[in-house]
Amino acid sequence: MPASPSPRPIVALRGIGKVFPGVIANADVDFDLLPGEIHALLGENGAGKSTLMNVLTGIYRPDSGAILMDGKEVAFASPVEAIAAGIGMVHQHFKLVRAFTVAENVHLGWKETPRLASKSVLEARTRALSERYGLAVRPEARIDELSAGEQQRVEILRVLARQARVLILDEPTAVLTPAEARVLFKALRAFKDAGNSVIFISHKLDEVMEIADRVTVLRGGRKVLTETTENCTTTKLAQWMVGREMVLGGLREAIVPRSEAGRIVLALDHVSASDDRGRKGLIEVDLPVRAGEILGIAGVAGNGQRELSEVLTGIRRPDSGRILVEGVPLDDPSPDVFLELGVGHIPEDRIKSGIAPSLPISDNAVMRAYGEAPIAHGIFFSPKAADALAKQIADDAAVTIPSLRTPIRNLSGGNQQRLVARREMRIARLAIVAAYPSRGLDVGAISTLLHYLIDLRNQGVAVVLISEELSELFDVTDRIAVMFKGRVMGLYETKDADLERVGLLMGGQTQQTEAA
Amino acid sequence: MALHFVRSPVVSSARALTARVIGFVLALGLGALVLGIAGFDSLHLGRQIIVKSLGSQFGLEDLGLLYTPLLLTGLAVTVMARMGLWNIGADGQFYLGAFVTTAIGLFIKGPEPFMLVLMFFAGAAGGALWILVPTLAKAYAKVDEIITTLLLNFVALLLVYYVATGPWRDRVSGTTASTGRVPYKMPDFFGSLHWGFVIALAAPILFALALRYTKWGYEVRLSGANPDAAHYAGIPVRRRLITIMLLSGAIAGIAGMLEVAGTVHRLQGGISNNYGYLGVMVAVLARGSALGVIAGAFLMALILNAGIILQTQGLTTSAVLALTGLIMLFTAIADQFAHYRLVRPRAATA
Repeated sequence: MPASPSPRPIVALRGIGKVFPGVIANADVDFDLLPGEIHALLGENGAGKSTLMNVLTGIYRPDSGAILMDGKEVAFASPVEAIAAGIGMVHQHFKLVRAFTVAENVHLGWKETPRLASKSVLEARTRALSERYGLAVRPEARIDELSAGEQQRVEILRVLARQARVLILDEPTAVLTPAEARVLFKALRAFKDAGNSVIFISHKLDEVMEIADRVTVLRGGRKVLTETTENCTTTKLAQWMVGREMVLGGLREAIVPRSEAGRIVLALDHVSASDDRGRKGLIEVDLPVRAGEILGIAGVAGNGQRELSEVLTGIRRPDSGRILVEGVPLDDPSPDVFLELGVGHIPEDRIKSGIAPSLPISDNAVMRAYGEAPIAHGIFFSPKAADALAKQIADDAAVTIPSLRTPIRNLSGGNQQRLVARREMRIARLAIVAAYPSRGLDVGAISTLLHYLIDLRNQGVAVVLISEELSELFDVTDRIAVMFKGRVMGLYETKDADLERVGLLMGGQTQQTEAA
Repeated sequence: MALHFVRSPVVSSARALTARVIGFVLALGLGALVLGIAGFDSLHLGRQIIVKSLGSQFGLEDLGLLYTPLLLTGLAVTVMARMGLWNIGADGQFYLGAFVTTAIGLFIKGPEPFMLVLMFFAGAAGGALWILVPTLAKAYAKVDEIITTLLLNFVALLLVYYVATGPWRDRVSGTTASTGRVPYKMPDFFGSLHWGFVIALAAPILFALALRYTKWGYEVRLSGANPDAAHYAGIPVRRRLITIMLLSGAIAGIAGMLEVAGTVHRLQGGISNNYGYLGVMVAVLARGSALGVIAGAFLMALILNAGIILQTQGLTTSAVLALTGLIMLFTAIADQFAHYRLVRPRAATA
């Protein structure tokens, strides 16, 4: 803890604003980093934490506001300039050369690297650095032999070796085992005790409470508050982070109450599936989805949500278990089967799988309807009819488009998402699976999208809504399932669900640990 | 503050064309300069090229005979490029088309129209057969098609040399490294220019129409633009990949068939004249557009024809090759430069 009431901050951000097309990433954010503190930056995904730090380290240029270092205004044109001034960032995805050794990576692109250095000199220097900063690394090992925790230590050593006074860590524990995390925390405390400062980006409440002296909470790109952790509890942090006030009006009111539960239209029965790297993505998942409900899937991204949405729409084949539609198991679950059954899908990563960015808007809009009349006649494809349907979808989505012949990548992210949503709603007679539909959108676009989903639900369609925004899930869903490490940890009626318990389950904590 | 370049991912066609014209002119200028220093009268050579290739019926016929195979090999490469794949083996498929055509022409007897139709389809089948293994390897084992198609070129070349100097060698007129004359020939319509030219010109147009006006074309466009999105849309991406690769091989095979039945009338070692490799250049010039092949192949034919004319004016083949390469290099540079514009950065806002 800082000794005097207000020592001069090492870094001060004043009124930082940053807007991307269709998304407000940061608005009017103030942030002070004092010497000798670990300052956590807390917020949900998309709250603007990474953007703020990218502004500080010169990856982005702010649209408004100022950056002060030791009271003097600075503007870094690149991370290289930031590190020269003593600010170093360790990203979530390591930026190491995998084929090089630890020693080579530490010395890469560094002024103080000796011009003619032999392998042994570099390794000796690295060993000295490693001892000086208390970060155990093997200088002669190649990066691709190392575990994630070891790679992270190399990244941190790289930054510290360049005499950083400010170390920024983006979700550092995401890749670490609990034991590795403890080692990291110890090193951070030592770094702090030497009078340096750490900015610790996270959305995990417990570790923020454990490691940080102060915490700044961001939500929707804005700062909620800064508080010393002594005055915080995990419950308070959770409330500030997700925010229970109605940012999006009229959602609950739009939901037509139901007297009885709808029939089960889509169900997973003991389904396991592998992820892209062949590891277990989904483990023994049982999930019934009812007609006329919105089933929310809560969880921190990367806990099996992608695999779940892909299995539910035929894109990924399960390794075992059954997928049932209206009670009947599917023997060949492929995307065209789900298309015919009337299951729509707003994919997680629309650029990667939902659209073909280089093709015209028209071609993208008819992706789900090109095979039937009026667009197809036998083997023929009618561009005219395709344009007509695309026009209709764009009108329904209230997206103004310059020309149907323009590549869809020229549209803003929000407009692409609206078109994809409308396209999928057209075919969703039975069900729709929406994965993070509001990711990266501004409040207006989010509201529109959620209203689309509610309308479908009210018409009797089964809706699966995968989201990291707990507030969104609590606002619009009928039931909530929580996922952690590929498993469904619990399934609740939303009206009976408790925000805190869902939050704890998302972090893998079950009832016992909560009681403890 | 220093000026710097900013890359824009999208280039308007007007900008791209302007950049190319500038690149082409610069390449010609540089070539003329070097020739001038070497003691040639560059202006005279330039005039010779234009007069001899475009100013007489003979010139136009020669140009057309070069244009025909380039249209088809350029299309073959472009067809696969639509799927994001490179067919570097059009030369081998060309040889196989020519080989099969010659085999039928030499050893089967029949009325000429029937035989020509048979040879046409057999040539296409030969080309498709030659890309079958790379296709299956790509579709089922993700083996890089660039390597497999390229390597098969040498196998095809050796096969043709073997039959042309061995079992099928010409025993009548004693021409070396060549088979006997194939008795069936494509009818001519403009001097020595045969109907194969019309077929070759129609092919890119047909392919462009199929891409735009058939369901299959839509599926191919989507699969090429984003295979993940195509899978999501329920399209059997692997099957489309297989048909596209076989089609590409078949088109190159047809080029070989027309070369035998229309232009050369016998199978010989160098019959491909590198048309398959030049097809890659045509496809690069066409920037993935089937209709662009018509323009790209024309430019390529003009360059080839100019090379032949320059040789009659005393330039060596290497000089001609260097000129061709210079034009290609400048075109590629121009394509990249079209993406960049010079920007003076705004002063950092405080």
